[in-house]
Amino acid sequence: MQFDLTSLVPYFGDLAAGARLTALACALALAGSLVLGVLVALMRTAASPLARRAAGVYVDVFRNVPFIVQLFFLFYGLPEVGIELSAFATGVLALSLAGGAFTSDTIRAGILAIEPGVLEAAQVSGLSRFALYRRIVLPIALRSAVRPLGSVFVNLILTSSILSAITLNELTGSAKIVAADTFQPFEVYALLLLLYAVLTWLVSLSAGALHRRLNREQI
Amino acid sequence: MIHIEGATKRFGANTILDGIDLRVAPGEVVSILGPSGSGKSTLIRCINGLERLDGGFISVDGHRVDDPKGLQLARRCSGTVFQLFNLYPHMTALQNVTLAPIEVLKTPRARAEQEGRELLASVGLAERADTYPAQLSGGQRQRVGICRALAMKPRYLLLDEVTSALDPEMTGEVLAILARLAAGGTTMLFVTHEIEFARQISQRIVFLDGGKLVADLSTARFFAADGGLAQPRIAQFLSKMTK
Amino acid sequence: MRYADFTAHDLLLLLQGLGVSLALFAATTAIGLAIGLVWAALRYYRVPLLAALAALLAELLKNSPVLVQLFLVFFGLPVLLETDLTPVQAALITLSGNTAAFVYVIAVSAIEAVGRDQLETARVFGLSRWQTLRRIVAPQAAAFALGPLAGLLVNQLQVTSLISVIGVVDLTKVGAILNLRTLKPFIVWTVIGLLYYLAARLIAGACARLETRLRAHREWKGL
Repeated sequence: MQFDLTSLVPYFGDLAAGARLTALACALALAGSLVLGVLVALMRTAASPLARRAAGVYVDVFRNVPFIVQLFFLFYGLPEVGIELSAFATGVLALSLAGGAFTSDTIRAGILAIEPGVLEAAQVSGLSRFALYRRIVLPIALRSAVRPLGSVFVNLILTSSILSAITLNELTGSAKIVAADTFQPFEVYALLLLLYAVLTWLVSLSAGALHRRLNREQI
Repeated sequence: MIHIEGATKRFGANTILDGIDLRVAPGEVVSILGPSGSGKSTLIRCINGLERLDGGFISVDGHRVDDPKGLQLARRCSGTVFQLFNLYPHMTALQNVTLAPIEVLKTPRARAEQEGRELLASVGLAERADTYPAQLSGGQRQRVGICRALAMKPRYLLLDEVTSALDPEMTGEVLAILARLAAGGTTMLFVTHEIEFARQISQRIVFLDGGKLVADLSTARFFAADGGLAQPRIAQFLSKMTK
Repeated sequence: MRYADFTAHDLLLLLQGLGVSLALFAATTAIGLAIGLVWAALRYYRVPLLAALAALLAELLKNSPVLVQLFLVFFGLPVLLETDLTPVQAALITLSGNTAAFVYVIAVSAIEAVGRDQLETARVFGLSRWQTLRRIVAPQAAAFALGPLAGLLVNQLQVTSLISVIGVVDLTKVGAILNLRTLKPFIVWTVIGLLYYLAARLIAGACARLETRLRAHREWKGL
């Protein structure tokens, strides 16, 4: 039984490149998820039954179908309808769509947790619906959603490893190559496991800190 | 004028408002009294459009509240102060006060803030302008609530049991402000349990019982032995409340 | 010659793949539940070294990608232990461990939700830790845990799709095979997605029914 990490040192550059790709993909996907999540959350709390239904279906589908199936659907399917995207773009798109479903859940919970009286006060002061959402609903909902959104982001980072299945050389994809080159799969994947764990732990800490900072006036 | 005619409101099998007729002219100070569940708060909530009537109509300065455009205009000329304050938790006292003037009246920020600070100073909260609601006492929050309503320079001020959630000391400080407003000519329609206060500052008392308007008298008449007190329901209510 | 169209045989393939997915899901759920509960018990009894190790392992498994865990077990363990591991064996080990980590977290928070004062009361009455666990904590914790567990199960079903990457012929792998052969990705992946969706709904429905059954039991039926 052997465990030797030193022979991996020359490959740290490749792993770092993979990590950068993961970080970029996840950052973009987070932005995409937030935009989509806010939109869908607003639809789910809208007055129109049609909007609620459509949004409900979207969330239902993306939560009950495995991500890899969603990914393959886009990766193999989009070229068939003439949309040629790089593996990176397809990956970010898939992550955003899936992430959007989960973020919409947390944002919706944040919206529903707003005290009705606060909304009433805003309504009777004559605020337009747009101003109501922009100045009251979303700021309050997002403040309470920071921690759960942190979990969604963590999930996004973990799910991004699946992008290696469509030949993207993000962190996991790079690690596979390194493992093949060094014939030391155990060391490589053990290290990888630790890297992801540390990364997600850092994200959770940041989410907690951000939550405390945004809510300091309300404690 | 606030014009209420035949106002009827049902919640399921219960009739909360049963054909209420009421007019409030500018400059009047009117109190609405009555037992719990008599529909007092519901009436206020129908005037500012938070509830919809099932029958009859309400108009504020000629704007019907059952019409979307009319409601918008009605809301511009009225302000509401709530029992539970309902301040925006993520904004400072000043921001609470200036939000509507900036967003609805399109007042420039600098002027809105200056007027906001003056309002807060007039209720004794000058140094608290940049504090958040969570750090204010109940009485202070309600004072901010009053400023927030006044910032829109409303013709009519609707007050829904605004001291019911406050302890006696804070109640006093809020009532002092309301008395000042009433003396200054602000039109006020308020629902309250503070009988003595109502007696002191209102010109008119309206009594609701079981959704019906039982009496609409001048204050003097209402508390007269041969006026309001002659009605058994009112006498019973008053004796219980002023123990 | 290549059959680029769908045949009746493909239906059989799909069913087989679904069967493999569900079988692995069932097995790893059962094993994972058992292990996770043992870890939670370790924490409840505050067993010195083991409780901390279990907690650490659970944190690691929860906060790292399942795919990497699969690679570690399938590619890494054989090299380390100088044995062979079939894809199915690797899948069983990995998914059981992953499920156990989440079960542990759910169990721990469910036990904590029962409330310290109940534990103290039981102590004062002289009940042993085991009796307290069995009679007071576990029944209530189970009620708290049902909701999150149902969500976990649906999630772990999705996770089984990753075993296709290490070669297990589950539903996703069948999809990959069919996709490669027929080159009709929209049809193939929609059908695969639909099958997973239906399976997920079935599981969620079963859990919901179980929850109402258990709730009904605990409601007071009156005199």
